[in-house]
Amino acid sequence: MAQDSLQCLAQLASMHGPVFPDESAQVSYLAHLVEGLLSMINGIEIEDSEAVGISNIISNLITMFPRSILTALPSELFTSFINCLTLLTCSFGRSAALEEVLDKDDMVYMEAYDKLLESWLTLVQDDEHFPRGCFVQPAVQVFNSYIQCHIAAPDGTRNLSVNGISSHEEEEINELQEDDRELFSDQLSSIGMLGRVAADHCIPLLTSLLEDRVTRVHGQLQRTQQHLMASSDPGSMDRKVLDDLYEDIHWLILVSGYVLADDPQGETPLIPSEVMEFSIKHSTEVDINTTLQILGSPGEKASSIPGCNRTDSVIRLLSAVLRTSEVESRASRASLTDLLSPQMGKDIMWFLRRWAKTYLLMDEKLYEQISIPLSTAFGADTEGAQWIVGYLLEKVISNLSVWSSEVELSNDTVELLVTLVEKRERANIVVQCESWWNLAKQFASRSPPLHLLSSPVQRTLMKALVLGGFAHMDSDAKQQYWAEVLHPLQQRFLNLINQENFAQISQQEAVKQEIVATLEALCGIAEATQIDNVASLFSFLMDFLSSCIGLMEVYSNTPETVNLIIEVFVEVAHKQICYLGETKSMKLYEACLTLLQVYSKNNQCRKRNDASAEEDQYQDLLLIMELLTNLLSKEFIDFSDTDEVFRNQDQGTPATNRTVSAADVVLYGVNIVLPLMSQDLLKFPSLCNQYYKLITFICEIFPEKIPQLPEELFKSLMFSLELGMTSMSSEISQLCLEALSPLAEQCAKNQEKDTPLFVATRHFLKLVFDMLVLQKHNTEMTVAAGEALYTLVCLHQAEYSELVETLLSSQRDAVIYQRLADAFNKLTASSTPPTMDRKQKVAFLKSLEEFVANVGGLLCVK
Amino acid sequence: MGDDSFDIADSGASLTYPMQCSALRKNGHVMLKGRPCKIVDMSTSKTGKHGHAKVHLVGVDIFTQKKYEDICPSTHNMEVPHIKRKDYQVSDISDGYLSLMDDAAATREDLKLPENDLGKEIDSQFEKVDNIMVTVLEAIGEEQVVAVKYTK
Repeated sequence: MAQDSLQCLAQLASMHGPVFPDESAQVSYLAHLVEGLLSMINGIEIEDSEAVGISNIISNLITMFPRSILTALPSELFTSFINCLTLLTCSFGRSAALEEVLDKDDMVYMEAYDKLLESWLTLVQDDEHFPRGCFVQPAVQVFNSYIQCHIAAPDGTRNLSVNGISSHEEEEINELQEDDRELFSDQLSSIGMLGRVAADHCIPLLTSLLEDRVTRVHGQLQRTQQHLMASSDPGSMDRKVLDDLYEDIHWLILVSGYVLADDPQGETPLIPSEVMEFSIKHSTEVDINTTLQILGSPGEKASSIPGCNRTDSVIRLLSAVLRTSEVESRASRASLTDLLSPQMGKDIMWFLRRWAKTYLLMDEKLYEQISIPLSTAFGADTEGAQWIVGYLLEKVISNLSVWSSEVELSNDTVELLVTLVEKRERANIVVQCESWWNLAKQFASRSPPLHLLSSPVQRTLMKALVLGGFAHMDSDAKQQYWAEVLHPLQQRFLNLINQENFAQISQQEAVKQEIVATLEALCGIAEATQIDNVASLFSFLMDFLSSCIGLMEVYSNTPETVNLIIEVFVEVAHKQICYLGETKSMKLYEACLTLLQVYSKNNQCRKRNDASAEEDQYQDLLLIMELLTNLLSKEFIDFSDTDEVFRNQDQGTPATNRTVSAADVVLYGVNIVLPLMSQDLLKFPSLCNQYYKLITFICEIFPEKIPQLPEELFKSLMFSLELGMTSMSSEISQLCLEALSPLAEQCAKNQEKDTPLFVATRHFLKLVFDMLVLQKHNTEMTVAAGEALYTLVCLHQAEYSELVETLLSSQRDAVIYQRLADAFNKLTASSTPPTMDRKQKVAFLKSLEEFVANVGGLLCVK
Repeated sequence: MGDDSFDIADSGASLTYPMQCSALRKNGHVMLKGRPCKIVDMSTSKTGKHGHAKVHLVGVDIFTQKKYEDICPSTHNMEVPHIKRKDYQVSDISDGYLSLMDDAAATREDLKLPENDLGKEIDSQFEKVDNIMVTVLEAIGEEQVVAVKYTK
């Protein structure tokens, strides 16, 4: 009974719309509901199985009732409701933490807790309707509770089970498991928001806890170091104390990151208004010099600096994270890296990246009001900003050396570096640091320890170094920069491949490594493309692309290298094509065409012995299809400004001298790819998806080329479409259905009657007809099928009538016969005779909805 | 390029070189249990949330196709075999041995026709086509034909 009752209550809590005659009715309904809810919750011991149901009721009523109705509740009732919600949230939070310790399969309290935190976010985000400050105390309680559940005893309750015994299970954690920052991002967003609402309490709390933990880690590391020096058995050391501290710091940093900043994808994040207001409010009590001193001395305890209680709290929280980072750096310099936590290292990098995007060199024009401490410490043209950039850069460089073996941490580290250089204002400061130039030189010379980094990390590092090159420098400095960073790459490569005996030495390990490193670097350079650097990067990359084609021949028997070469083309196409004007695009198309010709020649017939032969074939086919799809994407996304970007550099090449178009390259490529796509290969999902994406793109973008294809190729294409419609995933089915309309329209345009395409579309009519009438599909699929059906019916009206006739005449049951006959009549009533007119098509689709509702499933084969 | 010690001259040549575990890549090569393997799977794990990474490697012997696995801390060095490939034209097959010629017209007759599907294919196609090429893979002092190429 309980489950059903709760479900019923949840539905009652989501009542809205015209059922309420006026606002006052809504208010009194809600009041009644809330009273009942409160007395229910206060009167019972909530069972585990009821938690989710109760949280649903609360979530629904908060989401579905307008703010104005909630605030119109009698204030005592509203207060009681908020208090109840607060207590419930904290209670569910504690139970959820217990569930984690016990590692339950079904975490009902976690689910309920998530729901309630989501509701809090909804409530506090819309603060204008609610009385000012009414959420501060609740926020404090929920925030405190979250922190307590996540830090260890005695301050917190993490890992304590019911009887107070703490567990310390060491489980194997696979790389595929999401980091907490993603796994709990919803919870953290809510807690972050609540932390902002109650900033007066929460920000200083985070700071004091973090500063305390950092001091303790420092002490513990020192003690452990002495123990290790005294004892000959490192295994005798108990890591529990350190691990507990690392876990505390992990959560404190995560929460701090979510309180201080957001991370919207693709936009410049702003300092949250609550944080800015908090800083401004207290700025009169703040001593700027002390604040800057605390910021600039991460190696010293904050509390040891005189006047430390007169610092800006936001800055002091950042400083606490910098202190964590400093302890980490010093420990690794003292050869204690084995005792450190890579997870904590990741958290630090993550936080600093998130923080830097928002606070470092903030643009004051974007804010109505600005906090003086914040703008003095990190604003444009400040010493503070310069110092921080220098400090972050040193940290990145140190990490790249110390943590080269930890791939995720290295990755987070280079991503911080990219953040530092991807915006010009920051890059301008970075390039003034000597350590940046040292990094560039070190990387260019491929010397240790940077060569130990994994390939993806090296690529991103290359990207960062290229981005940095576009910072503001005087022309001498700029020339020198490219001379350090890019020219060695080019020089070494050319010296190598231009050697007379290159083909003979090509298999030597050192040579192969040089080639691979160069190809990886090219991918990284392509990734650095931005709209204002595409011109110079394109020229640089194009020179390489021609040489790369030559490499295809030399390494034709080494699949890994061939794949990497193709990948360079894929990356260049991916990142640059949408910015290239006509002339440059053509150069790229030509290069790609040549690449494909060489690939085709080298793959006339191959049989490999390795067990991974199939996967090798799959790898290069996947890359080629990605390349072709990237070239086609220009049809959808074109930022080029008809060669304006290149006008100064490119004279005398008449645009009318078109030799190669995207269609040419793509169809040539498809010609190669199609015969190689066996049924077996289609079993690889990524390959299958890419293949169908490509061929349906072609049907949509170049339908006029389809009839011009060679017979074998045409047949394969049609067969693939049929296969896709009938035997593949619904995403692929849909893509194929969407490709049919352009094909049918192509036929209609040319008034063809007996061409292979005309015949093929007639066959498709039957397939789509059967799909709609004999099978059940979801709405999206039905719409896609309906659109296809309409265009095909327009083209093959007689055939359609025949299909309907045949279907009807095969019905034995008179009732079904009549229902079907009526349904079909209604279907085409509004579009007789059917033409390719948009209005008619829309009417048809509406009728189709009715048709499917009426007789859909009637004829389904059981 | 002359910075490393990979001397590929005949005598005293090292057959493997060390590489940090975390820098290995899938589809690259590594020595597992003494055998040269192509890496078909590489994943990392750690013991506890604050542990250091360990790399799990799954490889396939490039000569025998046998599967091998290993786990190592990501800071450790693994040995990577020097791999060399060379293409030869097949001029004759007799007694299970291949007569091969390289592009400098040097010949060799010391390599066996492999006893697998690839070998069968080479054998059956040899009579039928004009020009049949094979790729010979060399690693840790062993050599074997691993691929065939011909135009029909």
